[in-house]
Amino acid sequence: MKQLIKTITKKDFSTFVNMLIKDGSYDVVGVQAKGKRYVFDLLESAEELRLDYDVTILPPKKYFLPQYEMLLKFSLQKPFERKETIADIPRIIIGVHPYDIIALQQTDRHYLDQQQDTFYKKRRENTIIIGIDIQNVSERSFAASMKTNTTESGFDLLLTDIGSTYAVTIGSEKGNNLLKKYATMKDASSTDLNKIKAARIAVLKEYKQKVKIEKKDWSPLLVANYNHAIWEEHADVCMECSSCTMVCPTCFCYDVKDEVSLNLQQGNRTRTWDGCMLKDFTKVGSGEVFRDEVKERYRHRFFRKGNYLPERYGFVACVGCGRCGSACLPDIADPCNLINELAHFTSEDDTDRYFIKEENEVLEKGIIHVPRSATIKKITPFNELDSLFEIELDDKKPLGHKPGQFVEVSVFGYGEAPFGISTPPGNTPIFEIMVRQVGNVTKKLCALQPGDKVGIRGPLGNGFDVKSFEGKTLLFTSGGTGMVPMRSIINHVLDSKQRDKFKEIIILYGAKRPKEITFMDDVDRWKKIHNVQCELTVDRCEASECWGGCTGLITTLFPKIQADKLDSKNTIAVVIGPPVMYKYVIKCLQTLGIPDDNIYVSLERRMKCGVAKCGHCQINGIYVCKEGPVFNYGKLKQLPEAF
Amino acid sequence: MKQKPRVAVFDFADCEGCELEIADLEEEILDLIEIADIVSFREVMKEHSDSYDIAIVEGSIMRPMDEKRLRSIRSRAKILIALGACATMGGVNKIRNQWMPDEVKNEVYGTANLKGNELFDVFQTKALNEVVPVDYYIYGCPIDRDEFKSVITAIALGKKPDIPRYPVCVECKKNENICQFELGAFCLGPITRAGCKAICPTHNSPCEGCRGLIKKADTECVKEVLERYKLSYEDIRRRCTMYNYGRKECSYDE
Repeated sequence: MKQLIKTITKKDFSTFVNMLIKDGSYDVVGVQAKGKRYVFDLLESAEELRLDYDVTILPPKKYFLPQYEMLLKFSLQKPFERKETIADIPRIIIGVHPYDIIALQQTDRHYLDQQQDTFYKKRRENTIIIGIDIQNVSERSFAASMKTNTTESGFDLLLTDIGSTYAVTIGSEKGNNLLKKYATMKDASSTDLNKIKAARIAVLKEYKQKVKIEKKDWSPLLVANYNHAIWEEHADVCMECSSCTMVCPTCFCYDVKDEVSLNLQQGNRTRTWDGCMLKDFTKVGSGEVFRDEVKERYRHRFFRKGNYLPERYGFVACVGCGRCGSACLPDIADPCNLINELAHFTSEDDTDRYFIKEENEVLEKGIIHVPRSATIKKITPFNELDSLFEIELDDKKPLGHKPGQFVEVSVFGYGEAPFGISTPPGNTPIFEIMVRQVGNVTKKLCALQPGDKVGIRGPLGNGFDVKSFEGKTLLFTSGGTGMVPMRSIINHVLDSKQRDKFKEIIILYGAKRPKEITFMDDVDRWKKIHNVQCELTVDRCEASECWGGCTGLITTLFPKIQADKLDSKNTIAVVIGPPVMYKYVIKCLQTLGIPDDNIYVSLERRMKCGVAKCGHCQINGIYVCKEGPVFNYGKLKQLPEAF
Repeated sequence: MKQKPRVAVFDFADCEGCELEIADLEEEILDLIEIADIVSFREVMKEHSDSYDIAIVEGSIMRPMDEKRLRSIRSRAKILIALGACATMGGVNKIRNQWMPDEVKNEVYGTANLKGNELFDVFQTKALNEVVPVDYYIYGCPIDRDEFKSVITAIALGKKPDIPRYPVCVECKKNENICQFELGAFCLGPITRAGCKAICPTHNSPCEGCRGLIKKADTECVKEVLERYKLSYEDIRRRCTMYNYGRKECSYDE
């Protein structure tokens, strides 16, 4: 489509900006000087504008995903009261460079996917972007190499400095209306059009930083060098300050916290920028950190930009603004330098790694961060740490989950935590979860009483496709709390309406100690069912405990499987347990001759937002909360960070 | 309604600035007294009681008599909160640990006869947790009022306070400051625990490390940065002396 291009004198442009400020119906933001650097900030007058800037300290991302943003307000006094807070200030941002415009378009792909972020969306709709072609190139920028130095879309208006006038490319009806209302313009002549081209070309020679390879080659280069020594070498001098992610226009991970007023009457649920370079980023309630080494976190950032997001969306998630390069004190964050350095080496590791992606259907619509009200119906303690919670959704609508899916449970003032659903699917608003007291949310949950309210988001994630298991022998292996989601699928397939669809069912269950065995009633029932083999073991048994069963790790149960009943090629194995268990159990399954593609696992990670936005649960390029927690082992084993 | 916890505020060697920060909560003091009975707080009230559940203690421990008093406070309180840099880590009071107590006394008081005067009977400065167990830490010189509120509300709700374990740079970047290193200054932000909202660099003053170091000052990355910005190890050592003399990096659970 041919875009309409007008010209406006610089003096008239200033008048235009001042009229916008005077109008008062918008927050008018523009690039201004801050010392020797530049920032986007509220304009008081057009005089303050510095459209000749090189780069701003922070990208305009801060107007769409603010550093601190209140998602909802809640009351601690009423049983369940929350109000989502969506900011609604129309805004005009003046002076956005093409690379930042492209970064916003990239963020759109993530935040406006099937699980749309309402807060982000509202701000995008409310904002008019007046871009400007780059006049001065910042020292670290390599936007020309990334082909993000110019753009043909993503703006409402785009200015190009062509001497005493600005050429204005009109990108949207909104932009056009704004011009018509407030500006005096002329149509651009063919000389003007040539001047635009010339201006864009003239600036190219200013780029000192150039990436030696094409954008499309970033991904294979990174994959081939996944185990290269460079990650560790650079990580040795990394300050782990995450400045690189904080200043990045394409980084969008966040953390969510509950803040409470000093009189404990009310509070806010707030999100704030988080960074994958920080150690606590992947930490889960039980204390485990999934990218413990600096090297792993350092590599993750580059892979996210150069491999994970390109695999997912088809673009390199770096726009070459150079902000990270200048923000990094030891100067190891610059993707241009890193890629050039890697391009020097021959590949050490040429395995063809494929970062799986599976899009599951989205069951929940509506505001993704706002929980539904639910009531605790019953709390049954299993032992001093674990309790079974029966919860009913107050809107009485069925939860509508698949086995293997999870819910985020909110306790206002304490936060949210993910829980596997332990009841089989059914047409009911009542479901069960097991709560182990490990963190703030779980400890508080266990202090609640039946009748108390909690918030529920979900069901979330990718569950088991039980239909595809039909006609097969099923082997369920669970360790510890892995029995929680396992119970959902076991009771689902043992349901009288379902049972005939499957062959033999074998259940192996291991707990640390006898008192940590959960769902004993179910276990007793399963043992009595014809065509079901159910075996239990405990790691150890204290003298004070009464236990007549098997002692030893879960792997000791495998010899008990009646091998003659097991047609290994026609067996589906489901494994759910603590991270350490998978390696050993999978070896046993392979020994039995079960193909990797017949093995399904469910993984635990820090599933914070549950809708593939906040970034905490990522395993390589995979969002566990969206593509998982249930995975096919045959595919998952290709991910180095999975086990 | 459940009885409100009784709270007492005490101080040792300090400037009382952190207590002043509590007093500066102004109208929010009313919110505080909705959830707690303040039974002793020398800086703002004349009443005093020795019966309390929670002790909030500012200041460092300098003398045997301080130690005795702190132990007595600990024995009365179910919960002890260390308030500010002096209490949590010794802070500026530890600068004098570079010398022996007698040398310091000599330097300051010369030939004055201090014998037998327990007020001057000093040993090397200690943080509270070098004398008694501490349950909660509120860092900073002075403390950040919002963090004070979040620790108090966390204790009241029975949850673990959320104290950052990442460096000041995170908050400094969010504030869109020009990096102090870029301005030619030398800042401890990259190795200091955040939670202060990067207040010093935001007001154009480099970080002094008052919330404690999260990374050792002699690690490879720090050496690399020092070299790059033509600073010596001596510079960083001197800068760390201000608040972190003799201290190793913060333990993860502190």
